[in-house]
Amino acid sequence: MIVHLLGVVLISGVLTTFGAATAAGSPLQLEASAQATTEQAPKKAKKAKKPKDPDKAAKTKKPKTKKPKSDQPAPDEPIDPDAEEAPPVEVPGPFVWKQHPSFRYKKAVRVDFEAKFQEDGHSSYQGSDKAAGLDPWEMHRNRIGIQGTLFKHIDFEVERELTEQELTEKDITAGITPKSQWKDVNVNVDYIKNAQIQVGKFKIPFGLDELTGVTHNDYVYRSAGANYLAPARDIGAMVHGRFFKRGLSYATGVFLHDGDNARSKKIAGGDQTFAARVTGKPFRRLSHTWFDALELGTALAFTHVTDDSFRPNGLRGRTIMTQDNFALPVYVKGQRSRWEGDLDWTVGPASLRAEYTRVVDERRNQSFTDGDLPDARYRSWYISGTWLITGETKTRPVKPDRELFGGGLGAVEVAVRYERIMFDSVNGAVDAFSNPRAENILPTGERALTLGVNWTVNRFIKLQFNGIREHVDDPDRNPVPNGEAFWSRVVRLQLVL
Amino acid sequence: MFRPVGRAFVGLFLLAASAGSLLLHAQTTTPADPSDPFFDDSQVQSISININSRDWESLKQNYLDNTYYPCDFKWNGQTVRNIGIRSRGTGSRSGVKPGLRVDFDRYTTSQTFLGLKSFILRNQTQDASNMHERLSMQLFQRLGVKVSREAFTKLFINNTYEGLYTIVESVDKTFLKKSFGENDGYLYKYDYNADDTPYYFEDRGPNGDLYVPHPFKPETNETDPHPDPIGQLIHLLGNDSDAVFPTTVAPYIDWDNFTRHIAIENVLADQDGFNGDYGVNNFYWYRLQNKNLFIWIPWDKSEAFKNGPSLAIFHNFLDGVPGKRNRLSARAMTLPGVQVMYLDRLLDAAMSLRQLDDQNPADTRGWMEREIQREYDQIRDLVYADTEKPFTNAEFEADVEKLRTFARERPAFVENAVAEWKQQRGLAVPARTLSSGRILANPRR
Repeated sequence: MIVHLLGVVLISGVLTTFGAATAAGSPLQLEASAQATTEQAPKKAKKAKKPKDPDKAAKTKKPKTKKPKSDQPAPDEPIDPDAEEAPPVEVPGPFVWKQHPSFRYKKAVRVDFEAKFQEDGHSSYQGSDKAAGLDPWEMHRNRIGIQGTLFKHIDFEVERELTEQELTEKDITAGITPKSQWKDVNVNVDYIKNAQIQVGKFKIPFGLDELTGVTHNDYVYRSAGANYLAPARDIGAMVHGRFFKRGLSYATGVFLHDGDNARSKKIAGGDQTFAARVTGKPFRRLSHTWFDALELGTALAFTHVTDDSFRPNGLRGRTIMTQDNFALPVYVKGQRSRWEGDLDWTVGPASLRAEYTRVVDERRNQSFTDGDLPDARYRSWYISGTWLITGETKTRPVKPDRELFGGGLGAVEVAVRYERIMFDSVNGAVDAFSNPRAENILPTGERALTLGVNWTVNRFIKLQFNGIREHVDDPDRNPVPNGEAFWSRVVRLQLVL
Repeated sequence: MFRPVGRAFVGLFLLAASAGSLLLHAQTTTPADPSDPFFDDSQVQSISININSRDWESLKQNYLDNTYYPCDFKWNGQTVRNIGIRSRGTGSRSGVKPGLRVDFDRYTTSQTFLGLKSFILRNQTQDASNMHERLSMQLFQRLGVKVSREAFTKLFINNTYEGLYTIVESVDKTFLKKSFGENDGYLYKYDYNADDTPYYFEDRGPNGDLYVPHPFKPETNETDPHPDPIGQLIHLLGNDSDAVFPTTVAPYIDWDNFTRHIAIENVLADQDGFNGDYGVNNFYWYRLQNKNLFIWIPWDKSEAFKNGPSLAIFHNFLDGVPGKRNRLSARAMTLPGVQVMYLDRLLDAAMSLRQLDDQNPADTRGWMEREIQREYDQIRDLVYADTEKPFTNAEFEADVEKLRTFARERPAFVENAVAEWKQQRGLAVPARTLSSGRILANPRR
């Protein structure tokens, strides 16, 4: 692992040097960087405006002598759809490396090659290596993919996880559902800017934290609500668009199921799902710049849930790093209703995020006498704040003013998040029990505090250090004896190409 | 007339004597076990389980899984909520009449019923008579071996009669405490899977990890099972010289307990016991706390009686294919004292089977034959009404008749075989083997 880390740092140095040289010489450097933070951000840039004044256009093309490093887009930085595209220029050849290694054929074809690697070193409570199978080192994510554009209006993306395991025959016989190695596989058509159509596999539009790209997260792990209550990826079709220069965005679609987070090796998950999400910046026209970037969002999702699998099909709760179950799924059938409201506020080097999620599952015919049971209920919230102590303006991903191999130390950010997740049933009047058909589900949940330091070394490499304090409500289901709180520690090395 | 001092002395003496008597009484009176009525085999019990109908169908469809299903349990007017049941068994697993494990503490760690954390509902799918298990465990009990208590029960699932089952007490910490006065030692279950290679106690090396968790599955101290004494015992069985073996093996085996266990299994003609036809099987091993001493606890005797009344008394350890002989039993017989002990236990078991009823001298039937009749009278109508059983009513009657024959023939066969073996080796043949069989050891009724 140490050799691996050293290798990554060396590669990063080479890439930074090579990338900077390539970028400096590339006319595409004038592509605007994005402030967009979610993976739902459409990738297509607007058509370039023709400069009215040829002299001004020539000025724009003139290279600056001391260009700040932050003008070079990071590989995982989304292209701002609302930004003005640079004037068309002659590309010296079909292969370019700016954000990514890229193949381009005139204006008709652009294919970018991407790679994301996240390797973790972690530890938790005593005995977690045996009880939870926690290895000190983990190849957490190793994804490669391509994304690009055909004929200006058709965007596509294919991404595959390399390290997830396939199921054995025994798993399949036992009814265990596989977790797909394919991540984002989709096509986006944007002939109508305010009503773009996306088809394929991608994230269901629900949840601020869940929709934040995997390499953009302020913490090593997403919030518990994002991991266990939000749907995540599924196959479907979606219409989305933006109005008022990002003042109002929407996305709505239908999906075959309700996402990877709702299913596991033993949980079948929901079926047909409808979801819609709206975000807006209500204060963007106010004169005070502090509130310009305050974005409010909300989302709804409805899913048909069956009890066709012989196992409980509700949602579950697990500890953040060790993934010890503290809330096992209950038997559900009927409609699953999700709602979330969120706030995303960025001011200079600081950011604030908060989100509340509520999910309710109907439990038709699930009692011991085949009658209906009160709905199962799952709730979560978090509040999170970050501060770039090296003074950069907060973006996702963070862009250092001076990279480690470019005359500086990179960007350093501190972060803190407090979160809560709860599992129970609605209107439980009788004695509460923990069995999966209990009329009144024994309430359980977890509180977690995450303290973090993020060091963005350069636009390819980020190191994240998190300390996580967790406390499970139910002492019987706490992995630590006597129901005590416990700390976990993790360091993540992220490399994005 | 006593002087005052003398009167005071006498008074104190009487007071002390009274107090002592009370104390003695308190010490000798064993408090009643609250679960005794549940295992009262003088009547057929009745258990009701309320379970979601899809769960019951799912349990039957996926009977090879150990998935738990929640349900409510009812017995004798008492309801226990929030319990878990699952399919259980090895060869007896059935999707038509599932054997069940009932866990009171599945969803609430501290929940018990009558002091029990769990029990087994044995489905008798390998025993047309339904009596093999009951008769066997009673014989062990009569000869002083600690075994699970058992009773027949009617099982109702969602108010529908699902057949005749046997309630079997779980071998767990509660059982250990009751049986041995302690439960902080190490309990292992010999865990035989249908596709396992038969194991004859061959030496795999001294490392305990070669034996635990498979085939010796830890049932207590699961995360810290201390398996090394198992490896040490099996290793010394295969390697220590005859000169040192009696000394080195002594800390591990109580020969009385061991010979009792294998002798009763032999008298029962058990096909699937410690010296079974498929390698070792069907026993728990309890290593006493702070000791290396292992105690054998019998389990699952549905295959008893199947080797017939003429089964050789050293079956699968001094006779049979050499490679398939049980290494421990064979080595034990090289110790003259242990061999004699084994022969005596055989005679004890045989005599217990044919023990006459002192209360009814006119009855010439032995204990086993009388017990067969008692149980037959209890369950016949319930077996006939059991539509889920994998046997016909005629097969039930035929198997009961085979048991009666076994009860009449097996004791004499064993006694003659023991006498013949002893005579050939010049050992004394106790007169009791030639008596009428009217013995009083552990009379049951």
